Amino acid sequence: MIAYLTAIATLVGVRALLTLGLNVQWGLTGLVNLGAVAFFAVGAYTSALLAVGGTPLLLAWPAGVGVAAAAAAALAMVALRLREDYLAIVTLGFGEVLRLFLLNEAWLTGGANGVTAIPRPMHARFSAHYDVFYLLVVLAAVALVYVVLERLRRSPFGRVLRAIREDETVAAVAGKPVFRFKVQAFALGSAVAGLAGILFAHYLAYIEPNMFLPQESLFVWLALILGGSGNNRGALVGSIVLLGLLEGSRFAKDVIPFLTGVRLAAAQQMLVGVVLVVLMIRRPEGLLPEKPGSD
Amino acid sequence: MTTMTRRELLKTSAAAGLVLGVPARVSAQSKEPLPIGTLCPLTGAGGSYGPDMQRAVVAVVERINKAGGIAGRSIQLFHEDDQTNAEAGVRAARKLIDVNKVVAIVSTWASAVTLAVKPLCVEAKVFLIGVSGADAVTQGDHKGYVARTQPNTNLQGRMYAKFAVTKKEWKRVAYLALQTPYARSFGDAFTGIVKAAGATITDDLIYEDKKPSYRSEVTRVLATNPDLIMLEGYTPDSVVMVKEIYKAGYKGAILAPSFAINAKFIEGVGADVAEGVWNMDRAPLFDSPAYKEFSAAVPRADQSPYAPQAWDQMSIVALALAAGKGEVSGTVIKDHLRTVANPPGTAAYSYAEGARLLGEGKKINYEGASGSCDFDAIGDILSAPFAVQQVRKGKSELVQVINP
Amino acid sequence: MPPIVQYVFNGVVTGGILALPAVAFSLLWRLLRFPNFAVSTYLTVGAYVGLMLNHDAHAPIQLAWLGALVATGAVALAVDRIAFRPMRARRPFSLAIASIGVAFVLENVVRFVWGNDFRSYDVPVMRATSIAGLRVGRDQLLILGAAVVMMAAAQMFLLRTRLGIAMRATADNALLAAVKGVPTERVIAYATLGGGALAGGAGVFLGLDASIDPLMGGGLIISVFAAAILGGVGSAPGALAGALIVGVMEEVGTLLIPPTYKTAIGFTVILAVLLVRPTGLAGARA
Repeated sequence: MIAYLTAIATLVGVRALLTLGLNVQWGLTGLVNLGAVAFFAVGAYTSALLAVGGTPLLLAWPAGVGVAAAAAAALAMVALRLREDYLAIVTLGFGEVLRLFLLNEAWLTGGANGVTAIPRPMHARFSAHYDVFYLLVVLAAVALVYVVLERLRRSPFGRVLRAIREDETVAAVAGKPVFRFKVQAFALGSAVAGLAGILFAHYLAYIEPNMFLPQESLFVWLALILGGSGNNRGALVGSIVLLGLLEGSRFAKDVIPFLTGVRLAAAQQMLVGVVLVVLMIRRPEGLLPEKPGSD
Repeated sequence: MTTMTRRELLKTSAAAGLVLGVPARVSAQSKEPLPIGTLCPLTGAGGSYGPDMQRAVVAVVERINKAGGIAGRSIQLFHEDDQTNAEAGVRAARKLIDVNKVVAIVSTWASAVTLAVKPLCVEAKVFLIGVSGADAVTQGDHKGYVARTQPNTNLQGRMYAKFAVTKKEWKRVAYLALQTPYARSFGDAFTGIVKAAGATITDDLIYEDKKPSYRSEVTRVLATNPDLIMLEGYTPDSVVMVKEIYKAGYKGAILAPSFAINAKFIEGVGADVAEGVWNMDRAPLFDSPAYKEFSAAVPRADQSPYAPQAWDQMSIVALALAAGKGEVSGTVIKDHLRTVANPPGTAAYSYAEGARLLGEGKKINYEGASGSCDFDAIGDILSAPFAVQQVRKGKSELVQVINP
Repeated sequence: MPPIVQYVFNGVVTGGILALPAVAFSLLWRLLRFPNFAVSTYLTVGAYVGLMLNHDAHAPIQLAWLGALVATGAVALAVDRIAFRPMRARRPFSLAIASIGVAFVLENVVRFVWGNDFRSYDVPVMRATSIAGLRVGRDQLLILGAAVVMMAAAQMFLLRTRLGIAMRATADNALLAAVKGVPTERVIAYATLGGGALAGGAGVFLGLDASIDPLMGGGLIISVFAAAILGGVGSAPGALAGALIVGVMEEVGTLLIPPTYKTAIGFTVILAVLLVRPTGLAGARA
């Protein structure tokens, strides 16, 4: 049971990072990014391919984050010229195109076979209780990112972002270079997503393109909304609750005997949908709503 | 407008979590049950294959338990849906291994899932056996804990080519495949041999999964005037493809895997469209008692290409455990896999027969519903004859057997 | 006839099918102020209702199609009553998220009842005929024709009938329309019925053209979304144009780039158009 919980906790940590990253973009700045999975994938693949090619992890990991940030900045500079509705579809499209690229350009990415035998950090030294060690690494990353993002939220930079979210025109009139700030927010959020991807890839030691489907972006949104749209604590809570819901229903079937096979799986997914709708009707602000004017 | 207070919401979630977190009740038995896990795709891209595979495993276990189990212990099955998704598969496998403490995971399907779950099983010394085709599945150091009942794709490609070159009228050949981890390796093996025999490869096209229309892909391939289209896909996309090819007026030959051209396919496209489609697969031993018992036990599963394999996988795992003389673990399965499945030995066509022979101290050689089930050192199926069939009047008929 | 014409024709048929849910999606977005992601799942529902009528009840496909129209409209209405009406005054974002939840539920209800297997209608598959060098399938023409008729009917309805005009008034300015006595809820109900019917009909077409499975509608949502935005949200002719462009571009694109990148084409086109004309082809009237 411990190993199972450790594994789940590790994956929750990865999701929490993704959600924190999305929060920078949506919660703080009001950018609708439907392609969160794309930079998750960019970070994962960059680091994995470098590591498998022999690059030491101390270099591969920062490289993964850097590439994710740079790619995001580039995309943002193109996409943010469009209206908000359209940023959504551009990011969605980018996510899909990237997945197709990963799938088809096998010479670079391994294609549908994916990348196997990804090296894990310090595996030799901690091989006895490696899963616990890795969980601690992930938790440390989450804690660090959380602290940094909270600081950021309260900083002048964060205030500008929130001003942009509330009313872009006012912020522009006040002399802020809105476009530049938005690009930075997008890139920062995506860098965090890239870090999540790196931790994911080196945990599973295997990645392949179908781990990065568009619906993964949807699950990140779900976690953010569930936990409390627009705040960092909510991002953490939402990730825990979401994965808890998904995993909890797995145990439910061991106790409920009459549903089997496809029916059971369909019922599980139906439950997620129903929870979502009910949540939106009864409590759209999520579990931990953002307190107005919290500074 | 009423809203739940946060307190109410948290209370209900906590309560739900408590209830849902209760582990499965262990059935009252004089001896502890033997836990085995299935990890099939019940939803997602492989969703049309998983349910039948799971049913086949359940049928085998029912028979075993009714006859008294293995060394007096009942098998307890734990089923998980991998959603045809590697991450979900990993979470599911973790639960099977750590919470349910299974000694084996049978009946995996997607290569991505098998590859992702492999390191977990090897580390936990849990035996993993499935139908995944990607080469990487049996490569690397898995210490013998991995096996599969599906021939690897390089072998498959070569066997298909071996048949194709016997038809002299197939001079122009097009390769049309679904995007999968082995589309390329199968394609290269196949086209390489066909080209070497003097035919022209007119097109080589890999198509995306789950598109509503493949009209343009078909237009492109047919514009190159092939005599034969080698179509490597699964049933769902093959139905759409073959219908489109027919509508486009193609009068040439189509060769496809039998696991795609099954009864569901024929029902889906209709007998007229399916008429004449060539299909091949490793020859199941149709006349063997194992196959007969399988199709009687798992109704309608002869429409599933993988159910016979799942049947065999469970039977072999059970036999390997039976040969372990009371000890039960993944390591026992690994150690006895080849002693129960490979020749030499008395042929055993079911668990019941094999267990009886083992009890008499004999060396057995399990011959299954999906084939001979003889494993090489890395867990691959040894080369086997392939059956060539053609759809005639709404049914696939055996035409010839290609030997390796 | 140069081969590219064949691809264009193929694209027109694909786009024609796509246009129906795109129009429904676009108009409902304008009227209800949020993108209803359940629209593409209405497609799936329609296809399966058609399957039940055609395959199980042995009804001819035309009757099955009509049945699908009615049933899907009813389902859409029920969804609106249960999920969206309690949220009329909420932020569009919440409604959009709720619609995603609805899509999940509908897809899995279908999966619960019918399983994952791919199904087909009891309709003979016909070889195509050649018209002036162009390969044209009889069923393609029928589908295209029916789609055009449905679209024309929808446009007629919006422009000529009282209810249609009321719908457009509510879409333009709901408050003003309500003040002027337009029965908002009734308008929404009829619009939802109509949108559901359009999508349901498209589902039968798609099932005829390709295959029926629980994921069939969901796989189109990106294209539907793209077509609506491309055409300018709220414009039926715009959505039609958007769908046709997306359809044609995807088919023609296979000539130039590997077919596995098909989805990428649609997005690239949209990006290109939006960079030049950010409000979409017809220009949003929001």
